[in-house]
Amino acid sequence: MTETIVKNEYDVLEQQKQAVEDIISVRLITDENAVFSRTDGGFVSLTFTGEDGKTVEYNRVAVHRCFPHSDPNHYISIREPDGDGREIGLIEDLSSLSDETVNMLEEQLSLRYFTPKIIRLKNIREEYGYSYWDVVTDKGACRFTVRMGSGNVYSIGKNRYLINDLDGNRFEIPDLYEMTPREIKQLDLFI
Amino acid sequence: MVDTLKKVIPESVLDALNKRGVETNSINAAVCADMTNDGELKNIYLILTDARLVFALSNSEDDMVFSGASPLRSVSSESIGEFYEYKLDRLTNPKIIDQVVGGLFVVDIDGVETWLCRFSGAKLREMRRFCKALECSITGEKPPDENEDDAVYCPKCGHPYPEKGRTVCPKCMVKRAIFFRILSFFKSYRLRIVFLFLCMMISGVLTSVSPYLTGSVLFDKVLTRDQALPEKLGIPGNFTLMLLLLVLSIAAVQLIQQFVGVIQGRLAAHLVPGVVAKIKGNVFASLQRLSIGFFTRRQTGSLMQRVNSDANEVMGFFIDGLPYLIYNIFTFAFSGIIMFTLDWRLALASFFLLPPLFYVSYRLLPRLWHAHGRRSRTVRTLYALLNDGIGGARVVKAFGQEDHENRRFSKVNDRVRDAEIQVVKYGNRFDIAYSLAREIPSLLVWSLGALLILRSSGTFKLGELITFINFLHMMQGPMHFFSSIFRWWTNSMNAAQRVFEIIDANPEIAEKENALHTDIKGGITLNNISFGYEPNKTILKNISFSVKAGEILGIVGKSGAGKSTLVNLISRLYDVDEGEIMIDGANVKDYSFTTLRGAVAMVSQETYIFIGTIAENIGYACPDASRKEIVRAAQAASAHPFICRLPDGYDTIIGAGGRELSGGERQRISIARAILADPQILVLDEATASVDTETERAIQASLEKLVRGRTTISIAHRLSTLRNADHLIVLDDGKLVESGTHAELVEKRGEYYKLLELQSKALAMRSIED
Repeated sequence: MTETIVKNEYDVLEQQKQAVEDIISVRLITDENAVFSRTDGGFVSLTFTGEDGKTVEYNRVAVHRCFPHSDPNHYISIREPDGDGREIGLIEDLSSLSDETVNMLEEQLSLRYFTPKIIRLKNIREEYGYSYWDVVTDKGACRFTVRMGSGNVYSIGKNRYLINDLDGNRFEIPDLYEMTPREIKQLDLFI
Repeated sequence: MVDTLKKVIPESVLDALNKRGVETNSINAAVCADMTNDGELKNIYLILTDARLVFALSNSEDDMVFSGASPLRSVSSESIGEFYEYKLDRLTNPKIIDQVVGGLFVVDIDGVETWLCRFSGAKLREMRRFCKALECSITGEKPPDENEDDAVYCPKCGHPYPEKGRTVCPKCMVKRAIFFRILSFFKSYRLRIVFLFLCMMISGVLTSVSPYLTGSVLFDKVLTRDQALPEKLGIPGNFTLMLLLLVLSIAAVQLIQQFVGVIQGRLAAHLVPGVVAKIKGNVFASLQRLSIGFFTRRQTGSLMQRVNSDANEVMGFFIDGLPYLIYNIFTFAFSGIIMFTLDWRLALASFFLLPPLFYVSYRLLPRLWHAHGRRSRTVRTLYALLNDGIGGARVVKAFGQEDHENRRFSKVNDRVRDAEIQVVKYGNRFDIAYSLAREIPSLLVWSLGALLILRSSGTFKLGELITFINFLHMMQGPMHFFSSIFRWWTNSMNAAQRVFEIIDANPEIAEKENALHTDIKGGITLNNISFGYEPNKTILKNISFSVKAGEILGIVGKSGAGKSTLVNLISRLYDVDEGEIMIDGANVKDYSFTTLRGAVAMVSQETYIFIGTIAENIGYACPDASRKEIVRAAQAASAHPFICRLPDGYDTIIGAGGRELSGGERQRISIARAILADPQILVLDEATASVDTETERAIQASLEKLVRGRTTISIAHRLSTLRNADHLIVLDDGKLVESGTHAELVEKRGEYYKLLELQSKALAMRSIED
């Protein structure tokens, strides 16, 4: 009787240990242990062989950046798409993978991090706590509205700025000093 | 349907669709997404008919317009280019996958999970609705009633409101000038203001009289022994008496002016504090009215600054600036009239620089406005940082990051300095322009006047020149004032704009008009609710459960599963995005706030202590509570023993600046608060999270007393605290994964069992090790 209790407890502790290990360990994804491929539906699937030698197939994976602004091509987290979104593994350096894989993953990343770059600033008008932007981006011309004064325009690197609009859309100014003096002057309000 | 359809699809596109065989009458739902598959910003029409899902790419070259921006003139030429369609019977399982920005519209086509379309955050709501419509079409369910969106466009000008729930049209508000709005705060002081106005008028006139007396009258009438004036006064030839009279009248003018000034000062002194207090009170009341979401979106430091210094700044102008502006305008006008009647040539020389001067200020004004806005923004950041650094002093010290904090601070501090310098820089340009406008005319008047005296032999007299010089001298004050009034005005209107932003903000959660005032018994039902703090991050997904009045419901789940969010929804701190929450069979939205908040009390993991005595803190929700009731509540919350040990007992001042209480003590005070409130529905959100085991036992005991006869919703990590729950639900990642009684869930051997087993075994092991 006592034996079984102790044994059960031991099992549970083992389980617990395993679960904790699962959470705190870092699994790296490389060309050796992972095969990514395109699905017909425009997603990416993954066949992954873990350290224990077990191979798992994922019909679709989610691709997240750990440092979307400061280091977009390193530490790419590959996650289960649904539920908790548990991490399957981490790609330390995107460029270490085959070109084909890199292309595939970059497609997925561009879906997730849609951020048009502002290439021309036609006008910014400020009125009553909102600023109204009229811009041309690499994805087309558009107009959007930004709430003033609560950090919706912020620096994400040297001379690089990110703008959040009312819809939660993001726009990027890749290099402030690439812009014309007139445009910089308009941005003066925010920077 | 056709009407709502036309809001989404322009007629020209409908025509084009008709030509491709999509009958307008067969359309069941439609939405306009805003991106091609490559992410180009372009209109894409998604149309759901009885049998098909149609995609039509717009050929429009117009700018994409996101929320808040003014819509473009309606384009009649918009038609469609690329066009493809899917038969509905091939499609299953439509869904929206949220992305960092916007989302993907995903459907299984012949069983293959495929993303069909991308869209930005602007379309998230509409796409969700469309997705639901498609789902209903496939499953044959009845689509949910389309509840019309809240007003999105300003009824006056058709401009879209920049933010959902804030029905203030910025465009129309500009017309309703801020200035006059501030004046409305002065309404109740009407009589005083009339007097003030009168005083200013009198002193304005008097000010312009004295240069005339000391100039023309003294030099041309008295000193040149002009006979006309003394004769008129009945003292012919007596110029000594004449001089005496003149000196007396100059003295009298001065005296009256001083007297009027004193009255004016006293009137203003009564006015200022009253109006400032009124504005501050107004802003504070507005803040109280706003929903919790408003505060989480903004930095507290910046809000505090607004309430305080902005009101002062606005008033500074109205109290000190405006009266002097009026006074100076009077002085200016009267002096002008006198000067022109004396000699138009010299008057012209004195005034000719004014128009260009005002033009220059007009041009410089917008820049000054910007510079000021920028300064106040940086100052606000500084305040927030200050809040951060001082509030987090413990962490800063613990990690030895004082230098880092200093650097962080000095960075922002430098920015404040730069912004300040810029303000001074633009201000200086004003000063230069105004000095020029002052000195050049003065030079001109001297030379022109002297020339006139030399040339005109008698018609232009020395006294007139001296009068003019006096006037010019006197006008330096008003001129200087005018140069700074612009600065002042900018500053004050900037502040006013920020103040009104708060006053005009609409609470996202509003009471219904004929809200219910009834007694709540406490039965709670959740029907399929979904909720997210931000539009594209759903925290809770399709949760349904119900609790009978008087029952205890336990909510279990990992951290971040959405437990606290769920209870926030029940007391309506936030409104659900989808589904409904019913209390006693009526929607929570139908209850008045007094009924709802009076019936629900919360003991949460964050305990907030207000500045005041312990007794006041316990009695926070019921200020009429007697001492006896307060002591009894404290006893029930096992707070009484520690309170009695304090030297000042229940009168101990706690909260910011008061006596420090430990986490457990604060928790017990907030439990006492809930006990005293005597709610029908009690929410315990990790009520015993920050106390030691012994205190927890004491609190558990008091809670057990407290929950009797009330509907209780209890969140806990430690499952042992939920052992007397009638019903348990398990949340995982915002979804309800299990529900049932303790016994049922143990039987089921699912998530709950796993959690329970882990905890109890861990506890058992610990006690063996001990």
